[in-house]
Amino acid sequence: MHPAIFVSASVLLGILFALQEWMSVRLWSYHIGIRLLLEAWGLQYFLWGVLCWLLWRWLGPRIQQAKAFCIITRVLPLSIVISIAEEMIWVSCFPHLPLNRPHLTYWHRLAFQLDAELIDNMVIFWCAFALFRGVGYYQKFREKEDAAAQLSVQLAHAQIATLRMQLNPHFLFNTLNSISSLMRIDVAAADTMLEQLGSLLRITLERGQVQFIRLNDEMEFVEMYLAMQERRFAGRVRQQLSVHPELHDALVPAMILQPLIENAYTHGLSKLDSDGLLVIEATRRDKCLMLSILNNGAGLNSNPPKGSDGQGVGLANIRSRLRLHYGDQHTFDIREVTQDQVEVTITLPLQFSASPTEKLTRFGE
Amino acid sequence: MMIHAIVADDEVLARQKLRQLLRDEPEIEIVGEGASASETIDLVRATRPELLFLDIRMPGMDGFDIIGELSVGSDFAMPRIIFTTAYDCYALRAFEIHAVDYLLKPFTSERLHSAVQRAREQISATKQNLGRSNGRSSQDASSYTTRIVFKSRGRILFLPVSDIRWIGAEENYVRICTEADKHLLRETMSHLEEKLDPQMFLRVHRSAIVNLQYLKEVRTEPSGEFTVVLVNGQKVAMSRSYHARISEWLARG
Repeated sequence: MHPAIFVSASVLLGILFALQEWMSVRLWSYHIGIRLLLEAWGLQYFLWGVLCWLLWRWLGPRIQQAKAFCIITRVLPLSIVISIAEEMIWVSCFPHLPLNRPHLTYWHRLAFQLDAELIDNMVIFWCAFALFRGVGYYQKFREKEDAAAQLSVQLAHAQIATLRMQLNPHFLFNTLNSISSLMRIDVAAADTMLEQLGSLLRITLERGQVQFIRLNDEMEFVEMYLAMQERRFAGRVRQQLSVHPELHDALVPAMILQPLIENAYTHGLSKLDSDGLLVIEATRRDKCLMLSILNNGAGLNSNPPKGSDGQGVGLANIRSRLRLHYGDQHTFDIREVTQDQVEVTITLPLQFSASPTEKLTRFGE
Repeated sequence: MMIHAIVADDEVLARQKLRQLLRDEPEIEIVGEGASASETIDLVRATRPELLFLDIRMPGMDGFDIIGELSVGSDFAMPRIIFTTAYDCYALRAFEIHAVDYLLKPFTSERLHSAVQRAREQISATKQNLGRSNGRSSQDASSYTTRIVFKSRGRILFLPVSDIRWIGAEENYVRICTEADKHLLRETMSHLEEKLDPQMFLRVHRSAIVNLQYLKEVRTEPSGEFTVVLVNGQKVAMSRSYHARISEWLARG
């Protein structure tokens, strides 16, 4: 906030107090010049305005986050020090106050003023403190609201991106082309592929707006996607999936793996004629869930720099979704394990779904 | 055995596909095609088929209404139902009215074949039961489940438990292994064990149940551990405490 806001708001308050005192002393038929009152009150609150701004400037975040212990051991002494300091400056500016006592020394005057004003000063300090905390809470609240709004926009983008994945030249047309050519030589295989494409679209639509899903649901989707890729790549790629049984219920952002697997195919595995390897693993590291996708396609150097094609957009989308969901509690790395082997690793805080799954499973007859 | 079937779907291409695929099923004879609910009802009443391929969303009434209409005041046996639909939300209802299977469009010929296979088994079992005069009812097999409905990889499966080879525990889930597939279900081993007929399934380990039909042998490993070997060569670890039970079963067999 701008210092002018602090100082002007504070001086305005001082002027109001001065007017109030002027009216009340008039009521008692006692005369003090309005000018002196305005000067005294005005200066006092001007000083407070400056002090508050300095506090805000230097200690604002620390005051907002201070815990009870810190408030007692640090902020309380600080409030006394600042209250006294303010009074010292004020007293030195008004050597002729208090009125009618011309011969007091500076220290006597200070003691006199402190006697009357220390508590008031403390109240001003703690009001400012409360105000800072309130502003902090409000800002945090707004930030959270903004993050939530941003997340839903991001998710909408992710969904559009997934749908685009199924409807873009990359995937849908290639799949349709595969079906079209299979149709002439192997009707059953073409049929299977159509069924798989149908299931994939059905699941995508069903998921709708959900932000987090269980890992086993995400893996089910991945398995379906891999089954289609397997048919397209006809035995050129060996797929290995492993999920630690403890992690089936762990929550992951919906559609987090598929774009990465698609990248593994388009930028790596598609460049191999045989012996492709794709390893997808979900493991537990203490309180973290680690997802890794490794392929032995082409290595990082063989690919054009990010952003020059679709890859950058997909990765940027994943990065920003992870950041919005987890802040700095996650990691996202792409690295070359050995030459030609690229591994993408994501670690997330391990969270489990609280609500039971709505399950279709029934036993009968 | 010849099975008379009716195909009910409002879309001509959908009926055509079924007709085409059913040509590969020699036991199925299509005796009629219905393009609407009323047409289908009339056809069923006139021809009394044993099997009905039924779309759910049709103009007029839906597939369940057709079944309701047919079962009211009819003096003939209801046909077996195989649903063919693009919607997955009716699966439980279909399961509850004892439909044979639930095919999500688009489906493959293999999927259709397995549905027809099951219909055939059910129809022939009913015929045998009718042949036996006042014989034991089919409910006789007691309260154990004979099939499970669940969703797996975008398909709805009405899986007969006899297709299950073995079941492995994975924390809060169980992995159901059939000949060709594996399905992950959120279920507990103990709950499943209760539901399954002990004459058919045996718990061999805290985390494994095997179908005795597919059991080949019990091996003692050099380490002194026991292993159950299934007919397809799959090995399942076995705990010592369950060993006595299976030896007893093997001795009987």
